[in-house]
Amino acid sequence: MQNAPLSAPKPGEGALLWTLKIFSGVLILLILILHFLVNHYWAPNGLLSHAEVVAYYQNYPIVPFMEGFFLIFVVVHSLLGVRSIALDLRPAPRVLRGLDVLLLAIGLIASGYGIWLLIRVTGWGG
Amino acid sequence: MSDEKWTVTFIVFRKKDEQPVRYDTFTLEVSPNEYVLDAVERIWAFHDRSLVFAHACHHSTCGACGMRVNGVERLTCITPIREVTRNGGTVRVEPLRNFPVVSDLAVDMSRLYQAMDVVHAQAVHPLDAAPLEGDGIRPPRQVPQPEEEGEFLRLADCIECGLCVSACPVAGTDPAYLGPAALAGAQLQSIARNPDLLSVVDCAEGVWRCHSAYECTAVCPSNVQPGWRIMDLRRQVVAQRIKALLGQR
Amino acid sequence: MNEPKKLHSRGVLDWFDPRGRQVGGWGFIINRISAIGLTIYLYLHLVMLGKLAQGPEAFDAFIATAKQPLILFGELLVIIAGLYHGLNGIRIALTSFGVAVRYQRALLIAVVLLTAAGSLFFAIRMLSIH
Ligand code: HEM
Ligand code: HEM
Ligand code: SF4
Ligand code: FES
Repeated sequence: MQNAPLSAPKPGEGALLWTLKIFSGVLILLILILHFLVNHYWAPNGLLSHAEVVAYYQNYPIVPFMEGFFLIFVVVHSLLGVRSIALDLRPAPRVLRGLDVLLLAIGLIASGYGIWLLIRVTGWGG
Repeated sequence: MSDEKWTVTFIVFRKKDEQPVRYDTFTLEVSPNEYVLDAVERIWAFHDRSLVFAHACHHSTCGACGMRVNGVERLTCITPIREVTRNGGTVRVEPLRNFPVVSDLAVDMSRLYQAMDVVHAQAVHPLDAAPLEGDGIRPPRQVPQPEEEGEFLRLADCIECGLCVSACPVAGTDPAYLGPAALAGAQLQSIARNPDLLSVVDCAEGVWRCHSAYECTAVCPSNVQPGWRIMDLRRQVVAQRIKALLGQR
Repeated sequence: MNEPKKLHSRGVLDWFDPRGRQVGGWGFIINRISAIGLTIYLYLHLVMLGKLAQGPEAFDAFIATAKQPLILFGELLVIIAGLYHGLNGIRIALTSFGVAVRYQRALLIAVVLLTAAGSLFFAIRMLSIH
């Protein structure tokens, strides 16, 4: 038997991305539970008005930061997850490269937009 | 053995060349203590000589007789009919998934053999490199070491039957995935002893393609516990990468 | 090598078909479905939160239209999915580093029980608020 050409180097998804996925996952679990508690338990009416959200952000200045990190980690995690599902389909290298660009763009736009939103709503910068 | 007789209907997957799949039905008198493979042989011998299937040893050693019995991967030579149906019941027999069908119940397992070759899977390996989790044989503690140079070797458990590849949900969409048996074969050699394996398994078609369904471990007839071995291999990969980061290769 | 032949597989359908699957296989199926659901929700959620930037009227009007049983039920589904996927994520994280792999079935059962308990808690809470 010859060595089949299966093992040509093609990392694609390595220990680094996986570890990032796991750590982002564990981090978001904590904040997600907090998020559910805030939205459905502690807030008297479930943070269901603009005024309440603004007050929540302004009264606890740590909250916008927390939400910002949450946002970035959850976006990174979900896009890595989507990429991992796509890899299960063994995309052609060109398709994978295109997908990488697309996911990167979605990630950057979503993070930028979410942070802009936080800053706007908190009222920082006017 | 009792001479208890059951009437069982076998629904058998049939496919030749490019013809569409069809299912043929055969109703047989069987002893519930016979094995599914016995019934398949009987169908071939007395009902339809064109039925194609693979087997050799009849005692769970050659790994040729894997099929899906009622939707679950089984080594048919050791699966008693009693375990998979009842008197008057049916048994659905299909070829393994995730391999190309050669004809009827016979599949082409090249992808498994090639993957075993890629990781240089060994027929024997040192006892202390092959710990088993679970109820298996548990070297190295209970086993005395040889007094002179050298170490005890033991035969690999894996009989290369392909059940795990068939049961894996990912192997069906990714033909290049090394698969449970081959990753288990890599784990048994340990990356520390065999650093070349690192690049083979730390990639999209290696340990990271696994999504922890543990279907491989559930169907493996030979106590390889491929699911556990893939997880252990991940641990090894991450440990090696951290070591490399810290510059102590 | 010969030209590659078609695998005997239904492809993506086999990811999700629970027939013949064992406990771990069910865990995988639900994890993947919840992951896809959460991902869709996340980006919808971000778009909807854009209303926060349009001032109180826009956001409060949006919340008012969202207070329908169907949407509340959807929110509950999101909570269930989040709890299951997150807790199962911990299970996968542990086992991926070789911890407690032998107990993966027991861990999955614990994940399901915790998810059920947490979902019940939030369901009761939501019913009593709204
Ligand atoms: C709450 C804490 C969370 C934890 C601990 C967590 C953990 C994980 C882990 C370990 C995986 C890998 C599963 C595998 O490869 O089989 C995963 C996959 C994934 N996660 Fe999460 N996750 C969390 C939240 C989320 C959220 C909120 C989203 C979406 C917005 C998400 C989206 C995904 C996606 C799309 C995948 C890929 C699914 C797959 O491979 O089947 N996760 N998650
Ligand atoms: C069904 C339950 C949910 C409700 C009612 C809800 C509601 C809200 C509300 C009112 C806000 C703005 C105030 C705040 O920051 O707390 C918010 C922000 C946020 N939510 Fe949720 N949410 C839910 C579930 C989720 C889930 C499952 C995720 C993750 C996949 C998520 C991700 C986020 C993020 C990232 C932000 C911050 C966005 C930003 O401004 O940049 N939420 N949510
Ligand atoms: S690991 Fe088990 S199921 Fe897989 S090929 Fe080897 S013996 Fe068969
Ligand atoms: S016939 Fe050899 S393993 Fe079943």
